[in-house]
Amino acid sequence: MVRRVRTARPIPGGMRWLSPALILSVGLIYYCIFYSGYLSTFSWRGGRTPMKPVGLDNYVKALESPVFWQAIIHTLVFFVVVYTVQVLGGVAFSAAMHSGIKFATLYKVIIFTPVVIAPAIMAPAHIQVWSSGGTVNAILDRLGLASLAQSWIGQSSTSLMVVTAVQCWGAVGFGFLLYHAAMGQIDNDILEAARLDGAGNIRTLFSVILPNVRGTTVSLGILNFITALKLFDNPWLLTQGGPAHSSEFLGTMIYSEVAGQSRNIGYASALSMILLVIAIVISVVMSVWGRERPPRAPSRRQAKRAERKVLTSKATERHRPPALAANKGGDA
Amino acid sequence: MKRNQAFAAIAAVGLVLGLAACGGGNGDQDDKDDVAAADSGTVTWWGWTPDTPVAEKYIEKFNEEYPDIKVTYKNYENVDYRNAITPALESGSGPDVYNISAGGGSADAWGGFALDQSKLAEEALGADWRSLFTEGYVEQLTTSDGIMAAVPLGGMAAGFVWYNDNIFAEAGATPPTDYDSWVDACAKIQAVGKICFTVGLGGQDTFPTEMFHSVANSVDPDWFLKATTGRAQWTDPQGVEVMEIFQRMAEDGIISKNALDGPQYPLANEEFMRGEAAMVQMGYWYAQYSGLESAKTAMESAGVSNPEPFVQLPLNFPDVAQKGNGSALFGDVDYGLAINAESKNIAASKTFVKWMTMSQVGQQTVASAIDVIPAVKGVTPDWDTLVLVDQAKQQPALTQLLDESTSTTQTRQWQATDTTLRAIVVAIQELVDPTVNKTIPDILQTLQDTSEPSDMGL
Repeated sequence: MVRRVRTARPIPGGMRWLSPALILSVGLIYYCIFYSGYLSTFSWRGGRTPMKPVGLDNYVKALESPVFWQAIIHTLVFFVVVYTVQVLGGVAFSAAMHSGIKFATLYKVIIFTPVVIAPAIMAPAHIQVWSSGGTVNAILDRLGLASLAQSWIGQSSTSLMVVTAVQCWGAVGFGFLLYHAAMGQIDNDILEAARLDGAGNIRTLFSVILPNVRGTTVSLGILNFITALKLFDNPWLLTQGGPAHSSEFLGTMIYSEVAGQSRNIGYASALSMILLVIAIVISVVMSVWGRERPPRAPSRRQAKRAERKVLTSKATERHRPPALAANKGGDA
Repeated sequence: MKRNQAFAAIAAVGLVLGLAACGGGNGDQDDKDDVAAADSGTVTWWGWTPDTPVAEKYIEKFNEEYPDIKVTYKNYENVDYRNAITPALESGSGPDVYNISAGGGSADAWGGFALDQSKLAEEALGADWRSLFTEGYVEQLTTSDGIMAAVPLGGMAAGFVWYNDNIFAEAGATPPTDYDSWVDACAKIQAVGKICFTVGLGGQDTFPTEMFHSVANSVDPDWFLKATTGRAQWTDPQGVEVMEIFQRMAEDGIISKNALDGPQYPLANEEFMRGEAAMVQMGYWYAQYSGLESAKTAMESAGVSNPEPFVQLPLNFPDVAQKGNGSALFGDVDYGLAINAESKNIAASKTFVKWMTMSQVGQQTVASAIDVIPAVKGVTPDWDTLVLVDQAKQQPALTQLLDESTSTTQTRQWQATDTTLRAIVVAIQELVDPTVNKTIPDILQTLQDTSEPSDMGL
């Protein structure tokens, strides 16, 4: 009996399965993006107020606005500081946790707790800490440094620092989480080989561990930049972007335009589109920069030096006592 | 292949229909205008004001007459209200009744979702209904298309300060009338360990503009509104003088050192309510805290346990320029009640709005809450039903304040755009912040460049 072979596909087309996700993503995400782009060419207060076409005026207004450029600079400063602290703190803590430290679980909880607490819950405490009559000034006073007491949260020179410091508080825990997982994936053999080759802790960290967690570092870079670009919660809750725009970010600018009584939806949409373009460009650049690269071919001089090294080690091998030579084949 | 195309077509149609549904529609305005008020139903009401306890008093009184209409009030902070109401109305899930203010062209922003209530007003009050409301209130709640988006419920006046009589007595200080006496009072108040004048200049709230307006009125009573409407420049000599006075106030300790730590709410409100500060600049709405129970509630909200209410009294803003101009009060309609044209409870909503804004009992209830100035002329609080912290001191002061508040000659927010108000806040912050190195002319030039004149009432 000849068995009939079914030639029809078991699933009738992918469209049926794809359509729910397609409707959601096209309808909710991409539609909103394109609609924002469309709105950015209008002067509009939302609702049923008249829409006045203004072409690219909203973009020109944004690019000519000193507040916009202040927000961009704040974003860069915020990114650099938070990213640096997150990488250093994350690597340091996860390296310490992998070194068999006592009470590691307790430390992990302490480090990670800030990540899971919503900014809105912590904001009143942070405001209290950094305000004129707050904890920081009280500590300075106790240390006899009352002359350094100031309104950290209420002056242009320090408000950005406060927002950044508060973000660092939570960011280190997130960095720790990713690095801890990434370090757990490093083959022990590699670490042991490094030790046998005489690498100390610092050398192992920089030459073995960090290259192996490069992917995590790049991912954190992209995530941090996007976080900085769309940052809203902490600056708004702590300073509302002030005083005098000194802790303004693109997110708080967009929110102010939408939440204010004047409701400049068109201008806010233009700012959102600019934010989107920056986010896409930077993400692509960082992804390309962080891609795994094949090792570079050694130069002629490097190749000669390596050849010389091999020959020297072979010569040494020949002069070794038999007991040591026998050990060579053992476990590394 | 054909099946795939069919699925794609269904998905596309679903998407288009879904998005079209999100758009909502205008509804049939004429039919809804003709809906008669009903004696039963439910009403949801959203507003940034009044505070919930005051709204509950209104609703309780309303229910004495209309027990079968259940009104649910939801209070939002100022900014939260704007963020909540717009998407709610746009998505068709808004409240039945909502507040509209005079500020920032709110009537145009949210009036498009409301029923035109001129017909309801005419039915309730007769052909001459406009003249029954305080002058300007109806105009301030009418859209540029001529739709009466909300019926005025109450007005608001500002430009004066409230002082804690207990602290003044303890310090042996006299309520200030000009700049010099203010400095003297502050010295005595600070000597007993209290803050003289609490003010929140941080954040983006536009409360600081009221202080700016008061100082400006002392310098030149006409200049502020001329500047907000583009008939004067912020860089004018009056502007320079206003800023110089602000600077002196910061240097002389009238403006507290922590002023930039946060906005007026919660910073200044809580310091005053906790009894830590002797003076605060707030509008007529603060009169409600003269009531014994309201004062206790406000103090508890500010973190005081077992509060013993203090005597708070209104005081004209001191004549800080010392030119003999005093400092005129300013006011406009605080809010009116709009009926959502998409509401499914229009009949009950009409009854509620009519009672609150156009009935003698409703307006009397509004007046007696001493939260806003009743919108209908000639209605005054029923003082016999009010229990104040100190009846003898506060009742005459509040009566005088109400008289002055109903006869203001300057508008408060109606003739200033939100952009201008926010630019003024930034200018004040740059001036008071010791770490900003900008001269007064530079600050004023930035204010001039970033403000946007209003054409309201011109």
